Amino acid sequence: MASRICRLIRPVTTTFARKNGLNTLSGLQQNQNFLKRQSSTTGTTKQPTVATRNPLIRKSLTDFGAYVAECLPKYVQKVHVLFHDELEIMIHPDGIVPVLFFLKEHTNAQFMNIVDIAGVDKPTLENRFEIVYMLQSLQFNSRIRIKTYTDELTPIESACSVFPGANWYEREIWDMFGVFFANHPDLRRILTDYGFEGHPFRKDFPLSGYVEVRYDDEVKRVVVEPLELTQEFRKFEANTPWETFPAHRLSEGNEKPTAKPEEKK
Amino acid sequence: MAGVHKLTTGLTGLAVAKHPHQTLRALYSKILSNLQKMPASAGYRKHTEQIINQRLGLVKAEAEVIKLEEKINCGQIEEVIKQAERELRLSRKMLEWKPWEPLIGQAPPNQWKWPLA
Repeated sequence: MASRICRLIRPVTTTFARKNGLNTLSGLQQNQNFLKRQSSTTGTTKQPTVATRNPLIRKSLTDFGAYVAECLPKYVQKVHVLFHDELEIMIHPDGIVPVLFFLKEHTNAQFMNIVDIAGVDKPTLENRFEIVYMLQSLQFNSRIRIKTYTDELTPIESACSVFPGANWYEREIWDMFGVFFANHPDLRRILTDYGFEGHPFRKDFPLSGYVEVRYDDEVKRVVVEPLELTQEFRKFEANTPWETFPAHRLSEGNEKPTAKPEEKK
Repeated sequence: MAGVHKLTTGLTGLAVAKHPHQTLRALYSKILSNLQKMPASAGYRKHTEQIINQRLGLVKAEAEVIKLEEKINCGQIEEVIKQAERELRLSRKMLEWKPWEPLIGQAPPNQWKWPLA
């Protein structure tokens, strides 16, 4: 009985919210139900298995991105919805804690769950490291990605005060990329071996590493020695002869202005 | 108050609220007074005021807890209380951070460009 009432009342409340101009994630739940219904009705027809695109989910994500940008204009640099309906918010590195705290505590967001923190190394850029925070909202069944940037020396504010679960993820980033997190309770290596030097996920870290480890029968213990390669180190031409991104071809006279300052809405 | 409206929330660690209307009204008035310290044009203030006023109106209008939960449509009333507590904490922090100010710094060119051709 209660569920029947719920079904009756839900549409009423959502139309109420829409009338009030609330562009929130709460519409997302209905949209996902819509998607489920759609896929069940088209179950018998033969179709190639490609991801179905749902314009309603895309719309609510775009709206929510604009909503975050409107609430936090001080930190949000760009908002972007990817092709497969993933929301990305690019922020200034000073805004890590405010943005994460807002997304966690705000009634319309409730991203209480930190899924992962990732790092990206882009050595040609001025700020070569990109830090990516992935959050999930159980209330609205939705995910979001926050991106920011830093270089080798600039510390970035730790998210541990907002999400205690970020502790190990940040240690991972510190270990793999050497990005320093300020105010982290316990910033140590987490993945590499004792006495390891360097940050293996940096693009300039050689694939073979700097040292090799082997068991020495004479001294009866594991010894660490500088790497000796049977072949002299060669620098390979890594560029592929094929054009990987024809849509993004840069030829003369074809250059578009990059890095749009205002957020896409 | 009609007393306890259910035996359990079914959620670990979340006790049944004894006086949800009272609690919510107190929390909402605190949030609203915090919001009034922000500039009227702030996006956060506008949107949050809208949510809180809508919920406060429902709390005032509906005396029965089960119906109130359905009208708010954001979980059980205990969860709604938790959300209000979080919003209150956020509004206090927001007064410190002042996120309605203009952007502190643009990203360097090509930072958000992908693929890097």
